[in-house]
Amino acid sequence: MEHILSILIFFPMFAAILGFMVDKDSIRSYGLTITFIEFVLSLWLWLSFDGTNPSMQFMESLSLFSSYGINYSVGVDGISLFLVVLSTFMTFIALLGLGSTHHVKNMIISILILEMTMVGVFLVLDAIVFYLFWELSLVPMLYIIGGWGAGRRIYAAIKFFLYTFTGSLIMLIGMLFLANIYYETTGVWSFSILDWHQLQIMNLDMQNWLFLAFFLGFAIKVPMFPFHTWLPYAHGQAPTIGSVILAAVLLKMGTYGFIRFSLPLFPDAAVVFLTPIAILSLIMIVYTAMIAYAQEDMKQVIAYSSVSHMGVIILGTFALNVEGISGSIFLMISHGIVSGALFMLVGMIYERRHTKLISEFGGLAKVMPNYAVVFGVMLMASVGLPLTIGFVGEFLSLLGFYRVSPAMTVIAGSTIILGAVYMLTLYKKSFFGVITNPANESLKDMNSQEKIALFPLIAIVIWLGVYPKPILSPIDSSVKELVSFMEKKAVTHETKEFLRSVNTIGGEK
Amino acid sequence: MELSPISVDFASLNLGALTPMVIAIVGALFIIIIDLIKSNLSKSFYTMLSIIFVVVDLAAVLGYSGADRAFFDVMLVDGLAIISQVIILVASIVLIPLSLTSGRFHEYRYPEFFALFLFMIAGFQFMVSTDNLILIFVGLETASLALYAMIAMHNRERSFEAAIKYFTMGAMAAGLFAFGSLILYVLSGSVELSQIAEKLIERDFQPLPLVMIATAFMLASFGFKLSLMPFHTWTPDVYEGSSAALAGYMAVVPKIAGFVVSMRLFEFYVTSGITWIQDILYVLVIVTMTGANVMALIQHDVKRMLAFSSISHAGFVMAAILIGTTQANSALFLYWVMFMFTNIGAFSMLWISRHKSKKWHARFDHPYEKFAGMIKVMPIPASIMGLFMIALAGVPPFSVFWGKMYMLSAVVNSGFIILALIMALNSAIAAYYYLKLVVYMFFHEPSENDGTQYMKNTSLQLQTILAITAFFTLFSFTFIDSISITITQLVQASGY
Repeated sequence: MEHILSILIFFPMFAAILGFMVDKDSIRSYGLTITFIEFVLSLWLWLSFDGTNPSMQFMESLSLFSSYGINYSVGVDGISLFLVVLSTFMTFIALLGLGSTHHVKNMIISILILEMTMVGVFLVLDAIVFYLFWELSLVPMLYIIGGWGAGRRIYAAIKFFLYTFTGSLIMLIGMLFLANIYYETTGVWSFSILDWHQLQIMNLDMQNWLFLAFFLGFAIKVPMFPFHTWLPYAHGQAPTIGSVILAAVLLKMGTYGFIRFSLPLFPDAAVVFLTPIAILSLIMIVYTAMIAYAQEDMKQVIAYSSVSHMGVIILGTFALNVEGISGSIFLMISHGIVSGALFMLVGMIYERRHTKLISEFGGLAKVMPNYAVVFGVMLMASVGLPLTIGFVGEFLSLLGFYRVSPAMTVIAGSTIILGAVYMLTLYKKSFFGVITNPANESLKDMNSQEKIALFPLIAIVIWLGVYPKPILSPIDSSVKELVSFMEKKAVTHETKEFLRSVNTIGGEK
Repeated sequence: MELSPISVDFASLNLGALTPMVIAIVGALFIIIIDLIKSNLSKSFYTMLSIIFVVVDLAAVLGYSGADRAFFDVMLVDGLAIISQVIILVASIVLIPLSLTSGRFHEYRYPEFFALFLFMIAGFQFMVSTDNLILIFVGLETASLALYAMIAMHNRERSFEAAIKYFTMGAMAAGLFAFGSLILYVLSGSVELSQIAEKLIERDFQPLPLVMIATAFMLASFGFKLSLMPFHTWTPDVYEGSSAALAGYMAVVPKIAGFVVSMRLFEFYVTSGITWIQDILYVLVIVTMTGANVMALIQHDVKRMLAFSSISHAGFVMAAILIGTTQANSALFLYWVMFMFTNIGAFSMLWISRHKSKKWHARFDHPYEKFAGMIKVMPIPASIMGLFMIALAGVPPFSVFWGKMYMLSAVVNSGFIILALIMALNSAIAAYYYLKLVVYMFFHEPSENDGTQYMKNTSLQLQTILAITAFFTLFSFTFIDSISITITQLVQASGY
């Protein structure tokens, strides 16, 4: 139990190195075994996690660059715990659903390295080491998109890499600047996020600029409008497993960054930039939903719907109250599971027909009843139907933001309607009606491997939709801590006042 | 007037300070003498002999614990001298065994090549361990002349072109240096940088036009030597013409010598608040970084791309001289140590894939197409090359990232936020052309080959060097702490 977090981070890396020695025919089972063990390890972490304790647990620290205050330090709280479990779970499921592919060994080793970077990002408590995992995650993803993608895969891979790389470099400057401020205030170099939390940046201009530097790094990753253009390309060209992991976990790094860095470090700036960010989120929600409706390719519909849902997550985060932030974290988990499942489903049909164009399909429900049912359940969860996992997060995020601005929340609420429009249209065109395309008549329904991969996802979608408490209560306790901390740390009176006013749902405070 | 007899106490000469250079020179003479006695010895003999001399040289540098000043106060063995000599010698130890290729190359048949190599090392060592303009000049010219000859010994048409081009540009730079020194001497009555600094500060950098002309001459001279834009035009051609092994060396060693001298020369301007030199350096840094990056984007040949990229890296670390804080100067050395391993590794990869025939392109040895689909036929070399590219792009946690981060931090800490942003954006531009090679290697389909051409020139010795450079690139995070502490101590102790 001592080093559980380090084991979680480096176990996949270690396994990836050893994976080079595994024979090509057995590598798939090897990958599955490793990701399963990793998943069990993360479940073990969840079990031993004390849900009532809102602060960091299982902390470890090791000096890396002592003269400059860079340490390898890790810890987990309610905010990061479930993102870690989500990462290990989705990696396992994605591998489980992996169809036949060329150079499968390189692919599985890349996935394992990617898993290390994802888990690392969520667990690390040192800004530079965070940056390290954050950047390192680009490399295996670049290889996965470029090596196994379709059509314009190289363009998509490079665009993905350069976009994120540029944004993160600006963020790095922000981190270095913040470390400098910390040094000038305390006389010690430190990149520890927990140390930084103690630092009150009195100069509001500086706080705004730093907020913007971090914002750029995170917003490109999320991706927020207008930085979202790399995402449809990456999704469109990536292989199924790449899309699943990209949508389920990699995008969450950006929103996690907002909660871990932007809110507690720059509470005043967060309030200052609240309205512009909310407007960007609204544009994301409405505009990309419209684009999703106009797509002819199934995968693009889901890719744009991802952007749209990420808008709700951002909105929830910047509600700056317990409901909104908890809701947005829950929505990260649910969106991870649902969009991952949808991308896997599209991958399955693509493997059978080698096309993703909606117009090629129609009447699929007749030949593939099981597939149609699973797709239907995931679609409902994606739209946010009550009693599915998608509803809880979306509802809480919007409820939280209602305290900030009822008018904007009404516009944001259209996400559910617009989502239903494009998703149901997609469903109607592909699954209902008569089979018009003779190529679809002999399609096989899901095989057992695909069923095994998707069954756990359906179970979770319904379980957490009906009873979200096991996840929600640890998140809640950490978020409460975060919000009261922000209020304490805020420099100006207006910020304190604002935070107090948005945190009064149900007359608690 | 009667001259009083000069009496010099032998001990005050501190000849110990000269030991490292003397070892290199003796080694060179030794090689020539052995060749006279018995010719036709194998290149492996000379290679190992050279390594031995360089290792002993390194030991002498590390073991030196005498006074700062030596040899009529001409020598200055301070922290800067020690770090830069260590970098020069370690890079040489890595470079010399690159001669042990399976292919036979013209230059290694001559023992003179190895003698010249050791002379060159001695030249660079003199150049960094003095603040006397005349000795800097002597060291610079010794090293450069040896280098010109070594380039030409590659014995191809382009090598001659490269050597002549380098020689012409080098001669011009030497001329500029001489003029600059002359004016500085006129102004201050001394050729020692510490005294020049004192005198110039005393007279408040007046008369300004003369000081400016002297500075301009010096800047242009070092612009040529460090291949800063717009003095860079010789660099890609010279790198292209010389062997990949030597090109990798040229991208690292002459530059660190140049950086040390520029640091000694320009630092007192910056610390005494002369803003115009800061403005000039500012422009120089940005133009060098950005211009070289843009040029690197449009290259068709990997070697030329690496040439432009090394110019860009040099521009990046020149920011340290513009800032002049201890952290910035330490960052320069840290960056260069990290860059050294990765860059030599990248050039070694080109070197082992060296072909006599030009199969892919009428002009270039290493066009991008040559590496298409390398991962499919030669996975391990492709992964190593990919590692070097990703590391050069500054992706953490590989070597160059640490240098880059520390340098950016130094820039940020001294308040040059705009400069830091430009440097960050340049890193993003640079990522594109490094990725271009990765894309060719990993995503393109291989063209009719069985993969052997990538390892045409390899041998166990070369693979060992590659393994060492790859190891340092991968695991740099394990020793970054100790290296940075040592460097900072040494830089601080020498007052920079």
